[in-house]
Amino acid sequence: MSTTNEAPAAFRHAANRPGPIHAIREAIGDISSRQRLVRYLVAADIRKKGANTLLGNLWWIMDPLLQMGVYVVFVSLILNVDTPDYPLFILAAILPWKWFTSSISDAVTSVVSQERLIKQIQFPKLVLPVASTMAGVVGFVFGLIPLAAIMLLYSGRISAFLLLIPVIAVVQFVFTLGLSILVSAVNVFFRDLGNVLRHVLRLWFYLSPALYGMAQLDASNTFQANPWLRFAAHANPFAVLFESYRSVIYGTPEGLPHAPDWIALLVLFGASVLLLAVATFIFKRLEPLYATVL
Amino acid sequence: MTDPADPPPVERANAHAIDAADLGVRYSLRFTKKSTLRNSVGQLFSRQAPEPFWALRHVSFNVVRGESLAVIGPNGAGKSTLLQVLAGILIPSEGSVAVRGHVSSLLTLGAGFDQELTGRENILLAGAFLGLDDPIVRELLPTIVEFADLGPFIDAPIRTYSSGMRARLGFAIATSVDPDILLLDEVLATGDATFRSKSKQRVIELVKAAKGIVLVTHDMTWVTEYCNRAILLERGKLIIEGDPAEVVAVHQERSARAKAEREAALGAAAPAAGR
Repeated sequence: MSTTNEAPAAFRHAANRPGPIHAIREAIGDISSRQRLVRYLVAADIRKKGANTLLGNLWWIMDPLLQMGVYVVFVSLILNVDTPDYPLFILAAILPWKWFTSSISDAVTSVVSQERLIKQIQFPKLVLPVASTMAGVVGFVFGLIPLAAIMLLYSGRISAFLLLIPVIAVVQFVFTLGLSILVSAVNVFFRDLGNVLRHVLRLWFYLSPALYGMAQLDASNTFQANPWLRFAAHANPFAVLFESYRSVIYGTPEGLPHAPDWIALLVLFGASVLLLAVATFIFKRLEPLYATVL
Repeated sequence: MTDPADPPPVERANAHAIDAADLGVRYSLRFTKKSTLRNSVGQLFSRQAPEPFWALRHVSFNVVRGESLAVIGPNGAGKSTLLQVLAGILIPSEGSVAVRGHVSSLLTLGAGFDQELTGRENILLAGAFLGLDDPIVRELLPTIVEFADLGPFIDAPIRTYSSGMRARLGFAIATSVDPDILLLDEVLATGDATFRSKSKQRVIELVKAAKGIVLVTHDMTWVTEYCNRAILLERGKLIIEGDPAEVVAVHQERSARAKAEREAALGAAAPAAGR
C-alpha cells in the first residue's frame, strides 16, 4: 500500500530550534525535493499574469518599451540631456530593474497570500518565494525580445559582450532570491512591509545609476568632495548591476561595449550568497510560526 | 441517537499510528492576527508580555492503525488546532507528537484552491503540495474527477464553483491520495444528500482498509456509528477518552449543563428579557 512520495513518511515534532547550518541544509532539501511544486507554481503564476488582460503576455514585451519611451521623453526632451543612443542606455537598466521589482513585490505577498493553504497542508513554505522569484526570470527573458529589437536600431553597439548578460543575471538572481525570501518572511509579521517597500524601491531606482551613468556622478562636485558618499554609491548593488549590464549592452557614451567590472561583480556575488544564506536561515527559523500568525 | 451498532473491530496489538504526549500549543498574542508595524512596535515597548493563550494543554492520546478516532467538543475547544498539529502544520510548544505514515489533510475542504486555475489543474497542484509523485497524481486523476462528479466544470476555473462543488473536489482529493492517516475536519456535512452518503461510504472504505482516521465532527450519530474511539476536548483540555457512546453521552450532558448555566446567568442578569 506504499506510494512513492516526496513528503516525509513520518515525523516527530517537539519544540526545538535548528541551528543555521541545519536550517540551510533543510532548506536545500525542501527545494530540491519539491521541484515539481515550484514548477507548477511558476507555470500557474505566468498563466495568471497573462490571463486577465486583452494582450496577455504581450505586455511583457511592450511594458519595457513604453517605460523606456517615458524616460526618453522625460530626460532627453525635457531635461535636455544629450547622451548618445539614450534609449539603449536606459533600456539596459530598465529591464533588470523591472525584473527585480516585479520579483520582490510578488515575493512580499507570496507566503501571506497562501494563508489558507498553509493552515491546511504541511509543505515547505520556502517554495513560495522561490517560485515567485523564478517566475520573475521568465519576464526578464521576455524582456530580452524588445532589447534585441532596440539593439538592431543601434547595430553599431552589438558585440560579443552581450553573451555576458546571463552571467550578470545570475548574480542578480541570487541577490533577488535572498531579498525575496527575507521580505516574504518578514511580511508575515509586519503587513506594512509591502507599502514601505513600494516607496523604498522607487527611491532606490532614482538613487541608482539607471537614468544617468556612474561616471556622471563621480564627476560631480559633491562626490569629489565627499568620499564616503562616493563609496556608498558604489556599494549599492544596483550600481554594480546597472553598470555591468550597461557595459556589455551599451558601453559608454563615447565607447563601445566592454567587459564588466569583474571584481565588483564578484564581490556582489559573494555578498548575495551571504544574504541568501542569512535570509534562508531567518525564513526557516520563523517558518513554524507562520501557521499560528496567519 | 442510535446505539453503537457494530463498530469495526480493531487489533490493539498494532503499532500506534499517532502518539501524542502531553501536547501543548501556545499562541503568542504578540504577533497574532495581521499586526501592523505600529501596534507591534507599541507592544515591544510595553512592559508586560501579552498573556499566552493555550489552545491545547496536557493532551495525551494515541491512535492505533485501522482506528477511527472522533474528536468532539464545543466550539473553540481546540479541535482544529489538534488536527493542525497532527498534520504537521503547527509545531507543539510543549510535549511531542509522533505520526507514523503519510498524512492527508485537506482540513477545511477546498479552501486552499487557486481560484484562477481549473479543477483539473488544482488537482495536480494539490498533489504537488501534498508531495505526491507526478505519475501517481496523473493515475489518480480520473478517479478523483469521477468521484467529485463536477461534469464540465472540472475544466472551469475554481472561482466559478459553488461552495458545495469546491468541498466535493476537496473531499475527492483528500480521500483519493491513499493516505496512511486521514484527517477530516467537519467534512461530512458538505454537499447534497447524494454526495453525503457517497462520502460516508468512502470514509467507511478507508476505515476498513486499516487506515488511521482522526475526525472532527458535530455529527454525533456518525461518531457512535462509525468511530472506534472518541475524545472530548473542552477549552484545550482532554476531558474524557473512550468508547464513542460514552464520550458522546458525557459531552451531551456537559453541554446541556453549560447551556443551563448560561441561561440561568442570562436569566439572573436580565429577568425582564423575553426568554
